[in-house]
Amino acid sequence: MPARKQDVLDSIFYPHSVAVIGVTGSSDRVGYNLLQSIIHAGFQGRIYPVHPRLESLQGLPVYRSLEEIPEPVDLAVIGVNQLATLEVVEQCGRKGVKGVVCIAGGYKEMGEEGKALEERLVAAARQYEMEVVGPNTLGLINTRANLNVTFYPMQLPRGKVSFVTQSGGVGLTILHKAVDEGLGINKWVGVGNRSTLEISDYLEYLARDDSTAVIGVFVEGTDDARRLVQVAGEVARHKPVVFYKVGRSGAVSHAALTHTGSMAGSYQVYRQVLQQFGLLVVDSTLEMVAACKALAMAPIPRGNGVGVVTHTAGPSIVLLDEISLRGGVFPALAGSTMGRIKEVLGQNPPVVLKNPLDAAGQGMQAANLGPLMEAVLDDPCIDILVAVYCLHLNWRCPTVEILDARERSGKPVVALYISTGEKVKEERELLHSRDIPVYTTPEEAAWGVSALLHYALQRGGIRR
Amino acid sequence: MNVAEMLAAARSAGRRYLCEDEVKEILQRVGVPVTPCFLARSEEEAVARAIEVGYPVVLKVRSPLIAHKSDSGGVALNLANGYQVRRAYRQIMDRVKGVDPEAAVTVQPMASPGREVIVGFTVDRQFGPVLMCGLGGVFAEVLGDVSFRLVPVEPDMARDMVRSLRGYRLLAGYRGVPPADEGALVDILVKVSGLAAAFPQIQEMDLNPVVVYERGALVLDARAVLAD
Repeated sequence: MPARKQDVLDSIFYPHSVAVIGVTGSSDRVGYNLLQSIIHAGFQGRIYPVHPRLESLQGLPVYRSLEEIPEPVDLAVIGVNQLATLEVVEQCGRKGVKGVVCIAGGYKEMGEEGKALEERLVAAARQYEMEVVGPNTLGLINTRANLNVTFYPMQLPRGKVSFVTQSGGVGLTILHKAVDEGLGINKWVGVGNRSTLEISDYLEYLARDDSTAVIGVFVEGTDDARRLVQVAGEVARHKPVVFYKVGRSGAVSHAALTHTGSMAGSYQVYRQVLQQFGLLVVDSTLEMVAACKALAMAPIPRGNGVGVVTHTAGPSIVLLDEISLRGGVFPALAGSTMGRIKEVLGQNPPVVLKNPLDAAGQGMQAANLGPLMEAVLDDPCIDILVAVYCLHLNWRCPTVEILDARERSGKPVVALYISTGEKVKEERELLHSRDIPVYTTPEEAAWGVSALLHYALQRGGIRR
Repeated sequence: MNVAEMLAAARSAGRRYLCEDEVKEILQRVGVPVTPCFLARSEEEAVARAIEVGYPVVLKVRSPLIAHKSDSGGVALNLANGYQVRRAYRQIMDRVKGVDPEAAVTVQPMASPGREVIVGFTVDRQFGPVLMCGLGGVFAEVLGDVSFRLVPVEPDMARDMVRSLRGYRLLAGYRGVPPADEGALVDILVKVSGLAAAFPQIQEMDLNPVVVYERGALVLDARAVLAD
């Protein structure tokens, strides 16, 4: 990425000052909410609301125009309509603003007239060497800078996962689900019409962003998909990238004369080409969050051998299904491991001893699960452990045992606590703080494990 | 005439579609094994070509206006003698004269059966040239068991493409059936990838079916569409 673009993106994500244009006193309007988002997120830089007549808004003095602002402005967020936006972008250029966030739609997504308007917008931005987030976007978020320049005021927990999304609504789905899952957010950007900044530009920026450890990307479609997969593939060599591409049901848009042409629906090509470049592809927002969560919290295992310790068989069968379909294996346990298991469960327990290890009734007592987990983790063919427990009113969960086992072995552990999100909150916080992601459904646990296995194998891990 | 000149000539004649013999000529030049394909414009010529090729033979309509030859009744398989060739020639001409009175036929040897696959590429709107490999040959669209990779495709990646097919076991050998020549298929994939990279003038190309034998592989039919 050229140094200039990198600098501008720095100013966009870490601005010292933000101007808000199109802000009004009515909370029904986008502009009001843009300003509230910035204040509500606790932005520490200078905030300059701009309005031709108002004196003050939400406790801040209002400037009549951009020119009246006494200091330089790094980032301007523009909440006026598409026609007025063009004029404001010109003004931003003259003011020396580095980046603009253009919220309004009505550009190239709206046919020829809109396309012409967007071309003028891009020309104005280029003339002043500005970069545009959007247009037609919800905006962007950077929790590291207490920055929320979307029109959805919210406070998000800080974390290591960043998202690049082509849809505001899907992007919000991912954010809310991530918060529910106890997953902290680093940066989030709605790319909108990608007028001067492509998805690949954000990816390159996030690749160099030390506070981002994992990147999730939601794609509808792009013009330069070849560059996108090449850049993403390069980024994923040192920082996990997770893709969710929609359009599975879409019919081929052109009438093809060959069989190859008619079968090359864009979804199937997209999916396989992403995989060709080593990227993890998921099938839902839930899987996106589950995958990013595991990759942000747990270390990458050294191979794809999965061990399970449970007291209930069903969830382990779901794990087996979902993980096997995604390239994981469940190695048979070694004789020495079996010996240690029998020391806990007895020589002839009323269960079949195998991996997944179902300790049945004896597994409901947390104290029994500890030595079982340690035995399975010590097995040479096991690279990662899933510990399963159904939360109970009277019985203690094996949180202490899981923490000890994880610490003793050093191998990654994923906890499946079958529960409501609310009831598991305290245990979860503790486990999350010690590199152990906690899930409440077997599918999500499996998707998290599979994401870790994918990047284990991509990085030359042992194929069991 | 080199390949680029062939493509330019077809394009300047206002054509978007390349006939089987033309595509096979291109394939042959890059070392992809194809069944030979001889043009005949009369019954007499067809018989003469059949004798040269050796019976049994296949007759296929040859017209830049007809992309799907079987659909228009333009293919006759397994013709054993001159009488059958003449009859097939007349039947084909009867069926296609409404579409293209200038149509000719090609005479080709009848290939022995093997495991059928499809190989092709298309210039994707978002990705540029993308290589495809699928099982089932002429039934590929029904099965939908296909894999795609961005061009250029190296041998390792081509092998991965073949092995990622759901029905890969049909090629690898099953129930006592010996394995098909995966290396020969991989070689075709790599060469077609090379064509896709070298000739952006070609929008889409199908090699269908490609028959993979225990030793070697052979392209029985092919077509291509030129870019606008």
